[in-house]
Amino acid sequence: MNPTMEGVGTESCLVQGGSNTRLRVICALAAILAFSLTSFAAPAPSVQFDISHIGPRQMEEITGRNIPRDWGRAWQTMAIASDQNRPDLLGHYFTGFAQQKLSAAVAAQRKSGLRTRYIDHGHKLAAYFYSPDGGAIELHDTADLEIQVLDGNDLVHSERVTLHYVGLMTPAADHWEVRLLQSVPSF
Amino acid sequence: MQRFLPAACLAFCWIAALSLAAQDLQVPATVHAGSAFTIPTSGSGSATFYLIGPASRTKRQVQMGQEIQVKPQEVRDAGRYLAILRGGGASQSGSFYVLAATPASLSFLAHPSRIPVGQREGIIGVTFVFDKWHNLVRQPENVEFHLAVNGGPPISQTVRSRDGVAWLRMNSASKAGNAKFMATLRGIEEKRVIQQVAADPCHLQIKAERNAKGVLVETAPVRDCSGNPVSDGTVVTFTANGAGGLSTVDVPVKKDIAQAELKISGPATISVASGVVMGNEVKVGGQQ
Repeated sequence: MNPTMEGVGTESCLVQGGSNTRLRVICALAAILAFSLTSFAAPAPSVQFDISHIGPRQMEEITGRNIPRDWGRAWQTMAIASDQNRPDLLGHYFTGFAQQKLSAAVAAQRKSGLRTRYIDHGHKLAAYFYSPDGGAIELHDTADLEIQVLDGNDLVHSERVTLHYVGLMTPAADHWEVRLLQSVPSF
Repeated sequence: MQRFLPAACLAFCWIAALSLAAQDLQVPATVHAGSAFTIPTSGSGSATFYLIGPASRTKRQVQMGQEIQVKPQEVRDAGRYLAILRGGGASQSGSFYVLAATPASLSFLAHPSRIPVGQREGIIGVTFVFDKWHNLVRQPENVEFHLAVNGGPPISQTVRSRDGVAWLRMNSASKAGNAKFMATLRGIEEKRVIQQVAADPCHLQIKAERNAKGVLVETAPVRDCSGNPVSDGTVVTFTANGAGGLSTVDVPVKKDIAQAELKISGPATISVASGVVMGNEVKVGGQQ
C-alpha cells in the first residue's frame, strides 16, 4: 500500500508541480502523508509468544496469532509517537489507562522539548492470565530495548536494557488493544 | 616540569570527567507511588535534571551539591523511571522503579449478565486491583466475592490476587431473581447485578377441552425443576396427531401459562414439549 501511495504523490507533483500554489500545497501534503506512511511501514518488532503457562482459559488459535501481532504493532506505534511527539498515533492500539499515561508522557516531553527514541530489539511475550469469558488477557513481556533521550537534537542519554512489563489487553472490533502497560522490576 | 603541567592537568580533568560520566546517580531501587524522595548530588554549579517516567517527563535546572527533591506528583505512575543529571560537561544517570501504592479501586468484570438458575460454575467474576493512580497492584491481596439473591443466603468466597488479578467461578442460585454480585477489598466495593432466570421447563402438564371451534389446550403453570416460573415468551409446542395427520403450533408462555386453540374435529392425541423437555399426552374424542 505504501509504495503505491508514495508513487502516486510523487508522480502528481512532477507533472503538476510548479506554477499553481494550491497544487504545491497538495504536493506538500502528499509528501507529508507519504512520509508518515513510510514511518508506519517500519517493521513491527519481533514478538515471541509463549502460551504454555496460560490459564484458566485456553487460547484459540486465531487469538494466539493476533495477540503478538497487535502487541508488536502497539510497541511500534508507541515508539513512533515517542520519537515524533505524536500522541494521536496512540489511539489505535492503546486504550484506557495505557493510552492516558502514554499520551501524558508524549504531551509532557513535547512541552519540554524532549523526545524518547526506542530502538526495539524484540519481545518475549508470555500469556499469564486469560479470563474465562475471553474478555481480558494479562501478559508478561521481556523487552530488549535501546532507549535514547534527546533534548532537542542533543542526545542526553542512551542505554540498552532488558525490561519487564506487565500488560493487559482487551479485544476491540477487529484487533486487541493494550489497556495497561506497566514496567516492573521482575515477574 | 612546567612543560608537563598543563598536559597533566588536562589528563586529570579528562579522567575526572570520564569518571563523573560513569558515575551513577544515587537513586533508591524502588519507591511507592506518590512518595517524595531526594537524590544527593556533588560538585558545584548548575545542571539540568531530567526525570523520564511512564507518564511524565520532567526537565528542570538544579544546583549541583544540593539534593534534588523529587515531588510526590512526579512519581505517581508505577514503572521504571530514568533520572539524568547533566552539568559541567558530564552526565550521570540512574534508574528506579515506582511500585503501586495501596489498593484504591477494583476493576470488576462479571459474566454473564443473565444466567439460568442452577448452572454449575456458570458465573465468572474477575477483578483487577488498582491504586488511586490506576497502577496495577501486584502484591497479593484478599478479594472477597459475594453473590446474593433476595431472600436467599449470600454465597461468599475469598480469593487471593496474583499479579493484580483475582478471579473465581460460582454456581448460580436455585432461586430466580436479580443477584447482587459484589467484589470487595479493604472497604472498596464494586457491585454488579446478574439476572438469574428460570432454567428449562420441567414437568410440563397440559389439559385439553373440546369446544365449538376445536380443542382448547392449556398448560399448567410452567416452571423449572426448582419451581421458578419460566420467563414469559418461553416457547411451548403443542402437537396434535389425529385423523387429519400431524399438526403443530408454537405458543409463547404468557403469565406462566401457554394456551392454544387447535382446529381439529376428529379424535386426536395431543402432546406438549418445550425445548428438549416433553410433557404429558392427552387424548380427545371426536366432535359430537
